[in-house]
Amino acid sequence: MIILKDIKKEFQLGQQKVKALKGINLEVDKNDFVSIMGPSGSGKTTLMNIVGCLDTPSSGNYYLNNQLVSELDEDSLARIRNKEIGFVFQSFHLLAKNSALDNVLLPMKYAGTDINEATERAKYILEQVGLSDRINHGPSELSGGQQQRVAIARALVNKPSILFADEPTGNLDSKTGDDVMNLFKELNEEGQTIILITHEEDIAKQSRRIINIKDGLIESDTKI
Amino acid sequence: MLFKESLISAISSIRSNSIRSFLTSLAIIIGTAAVIAVIGIGSSAEKALEASIDDLGGRTLYVAPGQNRRGAVTKGIIPLDIKDAEALAKFKNHNWEISPTITRNRQVKLGNANINQRIGAYLPIHFDVRGYELELGRLFNEDDNLGRKRVVVVGSKIPSELKTGAKNLLNKEILIAGTSYKVIGILKEEGSTGWQNPDEELYIPLLTGAQRVFGTQNVDSINVGISNDVNVDEIMMSIEQILRAKHDIGPGQDNDFRISDYSQFSDLRRQATGIFTLLIAAIAGISLVVGGIGVMNIMLVSVTERTREIGLRKALGATHKAIMLQFIVEAVLLCVIGGLIGLAFGTFILWITATLFDWPFALPFGAMVGSITFSALVGLFFGIWPARKAAKLDPATSLRYE
Repeated sequence: MIILKDIKKEFQLGQQKVKALKGINLEVDKNDFVSIMGPSGSGKTTLMNIVGCLDTPSSGNYYLNNQLVSELDEDSLARIRNKEIGFVFQSFHLLAKNSALDNVLLPMKYAGTDINEATERAKYILEQVGLSDRINHGPSELSGGQQQRVAIARALVNKPSILFADEPTGNLDSKTGDDVMNLFKELNEEGQTIILITHEEDIAKQSRRIINIKDGLIESDTKI
Repeated sequence: MLFKESLISAISSIRSNSIRSFLTSLAIIIGTAAVIAVIGIGSSAEKALEASIDDLGGRTLYVAPGQNRRGAVTKGIIPLDIKDAEALAKFKNHNWEISPTITRNRQVKLGNANINQRIGAYLPIHFDVRGYELELGRLFNEDDNLGRKRVVVVGSKIPSELKTGAKNLLNKEILIAGTSYKVIGILKEEGSTGWQNPDEELYIPLLTGAQRVFGTQNVDSINVGISNDVNVDEIMMSIEQILRAKHDIGPGQDNDFRISDYSQFSDLRRQATGIFTLLIAAIAGISLVVGGIGVMNIMLVSVTERTREIGLRKALGATHKAIMLQFIVEAVLLCVIGGLIGLAFGTFILWITATLFDWPFALPFGAMVGSITFSALVGLFFGIWPARKAAKLDPATSLRYE
């Protein structure tokens, strides 16, 4: 489903050219559950940005569902992010003034889904993550774990091909972190492709495949 | 749906920064209020002016004595007299009404009441020319004039000045400069026209006044009543020709009289009011533009503050257009809300002013629609740059913006 061919990314940092990715070759199949690990500065965030269509590579080809996305324009990338990719972030990134329901509705608004259908689907998916009694609560009225579950509901609501999670348990205590990981495992068993970025060995071990990045290159790629 | 989302997001953003939003739109509020108040007050004042001009009836030219100059030497004022007026009246080419006047203040007595009042000597047509109406009794006529009869028609406030009622005064004899005159009529209240108050004047026939009261054939002025559809320049030319012939003024010599046009005067006044209104409205318009710059400034701050939010929205699939829309809607809404508050405020000022000066109060709909539209356009124009800045943000870096 994901094919990366010799992906390189360079940044201009002042006078210096920084090579963040030096030629990544990677394939991720449908229904996989991949952890990407690496120390800070290794290029794992840059890799995630490119695979998540938040950024484009300097060179190389990226195919998502057989479509060459590395050469698409801004708005086409926005459409792919909207339909094919669901993001879960370390700091939740919920809109503070919006209720859980409104937060989950947002991707469907950008997709142009009919409001009644969208509301139905948002309620259903919030129920799936166990928040049916919290749909009208704002982020400030929710615990960290609940906020992350709202974020997961939001990421899944447009039925994306890939669920991206960037340190999803980083801001949670270990108990709620485990809950979130269990939810991911459940989703993966139901067929959801998941790519997880983490620096925690314990978290990575719960996935099915661990990729280690170092100095802009894949150092190891292990199936569990 | 996207527009609705933008609107909801804009309202929530404006509400959560309510004080900042208010201060930002203050210039828009003041600008709109000024536009509405000034244009409204201007048109109210003009309507009041028009109403007072309508009171004068048609159009009146005013001929007054001028100075007699031979070279650099001024030889005093050459008067106009009754014969000049008669010469004009005899000229039948124009359908004009010639109304010469002599007015002086004289003592007026009735019983113990003794007042110093303005006495005006007029031809009977004067009442027509001015459109004065009768309350009681009758007006004097040509017979009264030619017979130099001792009759008087009084303005509506005269009975009370003489400490009596209108009905009591009618047909009474009053003393004007020591001579007895019969009150034959009392006028309706006319209201002041600005330069004189017809309600506080006593009216006697011209020849009566010339011979019995004032002892002069010289008139103060000759009013020439004309209808609105005639060529004023032509009329003025005729007056000039007749009076120059009468006064024996040779070619190349200056007139010894002046002809002026009341309505020209009010036209000038109206023009001045119009220019003044336009000027203030333009200044108020500048204030709207300055307000727009303030809105742009705050929108730029808002974009920076909400970098992470913008990054998130982009990650969730917001296109360039969607982000643009969100911030432009917010800027326009900020300006339109300011405009509406200003509209209410300006209307209030207009209402107070109109009430205070007793002017007709009318909502300036054109200015209202215009200033709200202008506010919205200001928001649109000054919202574009911040919105573009927001839409161009890189999603990956904005998401990590601290």
